[in-house]
Amino acid sequence: MSAQGPLRRELATLLLAARLLGQTLAALPGSASRWPETLQAVVQIGIGSLPIIVLATVFAGLVVTNEISWHMDQALHTVSMIPGVTGQFILRELGIAIPALLLVSKVGASITAEVGTMKVTDQIDALKLLGIDPVKYLVVPRFIATVIASACLTLIAISVTLGCALVIAVIHHNFSVLEYLNALRPYVGVGDVFRALLKGTVFGAVIPVVSCAYGLRCQGGAEGVGSATTNSVVTSTMAVILLDFLLTYLFTSVF
Amino acid sequence: MSIAFWEVSKAFGPKQVLENVSFDVETGQILFILGKSGAGKSVILKHIVGVMKPDKGAIIVDGQNVTRSDADGLADIRRRCGMVFQHPALLDSLTVYQNVSFGLRTPQFARTLKRPMTEAEMRVRVIEKLALVHLDADVLDRLPQELSYGMQKRVSLARTIAPEPRYLLFDEPTTGLDPITTRAVNDLISELSRKLKVTSIVVSHDMASALEVANRILVLDQAKVLAWGTIDEVKRCDEPLVRDFLSETLGLSLAEAR
Amino acid sequence: MIGALGGFFHGFLGEFGRYCLFTAEVARTIRRTRGNLKPILDQISQVSLRSLPTVAFAGVFVGAILVLQFYDMLRQYDAQIFLGGLNTSAVVREVGPLIISFLLAGKIGAYSAAELGTMRVTEQIDAIECLGTNPIQYLIVPRFIGIVISSMLLLVLGLMISVLGSMVVAEFACGLNFLQYLSTVPRFTSVGTLGAGLLKSGVYGLIVASVSCFYGYTATGGARGVGRAVTLAAIYTNLYILAANFAMSSILDNLGKLLP
Repeated sequence: MSAQGPLRRELATLLLAARLLGQTLAALPGSASRWPETLQAVVQIGIGSLPIIVLATVFAGLVVTNEISWHMDQALHTVSMIPGVTGQFILRELGIAIPALLLVSKVGASITAEVGTMKVTDQIDALKLLGIDPVKYLVVPRFIATVIASACLTLIAISVTLGCALVIAVIHHNFSVLEYLNALRPYVGVGDVFRALLKGTVFGAVIPVVSCAYGLRCQGGAEGVGSATTNSVVTSTMAVILLDFLLTYLFTSVF
Repeated sequence: MSIAFWEVSKAFGPKQVLENVSFDVETGQILFILGKSGAGKSVILKHIVGVMKPDKGAIIVDGQNVTRSDADGLADIRRRCGMVFQHPALLDSLTVYQNVSFGLRTPQFARTLKRPMTEAEMRVRVIEKLALVHLDADVLDRLPQELSYGMQKRVSLARTIAPEPRYLLFDEPTTGLDPITTRAVNDLISELSRKLKVTSIVVSHDMASALEVANRILVLDQAKVLAWGTIDEVKRCDEPLVRDFLSETLGLSLAEAR
Repeated sequence: MIGALGGFFHGFLGEFGRYCLFTAEVARTIRRTRGNLKPILDQISQVSLRSLPTVAFAGVFVGAILVLQFYDMLRQYDAQIFLGGLNTSAVVREVGPLIISFLLAGKIGAYSAAELGTMRVTEQIDAIECLGTNPIQYLIVPRFIGIVISSMLLLVLGLMISVLGSMVVAEFACGLNFLQYLSTVPRFTSVGTLGAGLLKSGVYGLIVASVSCFYGYTATGGARGVGRAVTLAAIYTNLYILAANFAMSSILDNLGKLLP
């Protein structure tokens, strides 16, 4: 095998992901007729991953907001900033990136494993022989489901982390609930929620497409499924981090 | 008496996989365990080497109760048993030579030999066992994935017989093999039992092979023993499934004869 | 929803128990194992080299995201000068270890789970056991120690790369030169901070190793089983890392309060 073999395979997979994104978007208008599969995927992906993601977000929220509060206290020597700063950080980064990364390892990995298993057990070829388009049957429902789940999870995670920040402000910094909310209001607005939702939706669109691409290119039995899943998790994580950077740059420096 | 099952039952959750299974195998005999897929055949093998524990009943190997054995006792039993898996199960980062000599490097094997085996002795032993499964010494330094499936399966067999176990447990040894390799494996099983007095238990759904090499046949269905005995005894059995199994094979051999 | 939660916790507790027993068994086996460093060194070099580019990439961009976010916030209070200190501290203390360990969970953890899971479902592990070798000693111990050490190594490297990357981004995107950036660093970080970061990476490494080896080693059922093992390893590594992070931060916080 040549030295650039693995790299070339990765690139081919990314190209396939881009093509899948195009095909999926093109197939979206006609997808209403397959709503049972879509609904099933929404329930499976959304509800199935909710408990673990919310639990993990609570842990992250408590720790990071506590740290940010401490840092702001150190930097600005006042605690009156804490609601505004933590609120902004949650709405702009924390409440979006943490659930997205968890979604990669929960939903992205299981999509690749599922589609990859179908590929190595020849089920995808069977679908094609039956005249069923794998993109419409496999990718589109998972795409819609992950986008919806990601948007909802973003909102849930933001609420939960804001709750955590509130708890920490009340316990550690002697805020009352009302004081906290009043101090928070000038710093966050509907625009922030909107931008957060946009980020969440973009991440929710990238994860299923990349995961399906790795699944569809999977080959070679159990070993193939394992390594496809690994690569998919890593590539999706990197894609989320990269897109997060680009969108953050766009939101902070351009708009 | 060498290996005996006494009213062994085992369930996975609600699913009963063995129900009051009793049988025994004498030294040098070849027992074929036949049955449909999922009838609990492979589970029997895992009980013999103590990887699984029965819910009820006892398994005796050389007068020693497997269920009650401690870690050392189990290691001792496992040393005497060689297991041939359904898949080749070769360690894919090791060469053929390293795979076949794997069992010769363990402390247990050194104990039975009273000293560690030298590398030169190992090489001789490995080549000898590879020859038994009709493989030349030029595969020694190859990796498993460079070999065909049939060759991998033969290397796996050589690996199992390298420490010269007294019992061989085969899990579907001929599934997925071409007729010629199947014959070679069957001949090897007979030869080992004849020349070295190795006792074999073969899990299979290949009645033709069973009729050819077995001394005893046990037919298992839905966790229960349907028939157990010599070939003639089993041929006289009138359970419908046993008859089905037999007529299928006999029909086939009639077709081959024509 | 409640049902889903209940089912999740019910299944979770049983699995967590088995995970703890497995880790205890590995620990016992490590105590009994003597000598032979070569397989461990092999693991460390393989794992580290394979993961380095990914970790470097993640480190740079995580640092960059934080620089942009913090700069935008600090600007509101005219406190841009604190960017360096704030960012370095946040990266070393919390956000860096978290996000980089997420990536390690995918890169090292999922890889090991896939490797061990494949060996399990193709009966290689059973074969090792039947040939009279302890598979935990032969397979798990070198991987376990190798993963712990390389996770720590990569996490520390990732943090360093992240701090350097942040400085470059601050220079170009925020107009803060290196000296300005570094001037506030001592105010937020000390040798203790670095020690805490190292401690965290060690614990995260331990989690990556134990969780991924557990799910790989106990995989069942062909290609589907390997997929499931990798998936479970990825998500549970992240969950346990976040939980451990929470526990450690609480403990370190309270320790800090106890000391004068």
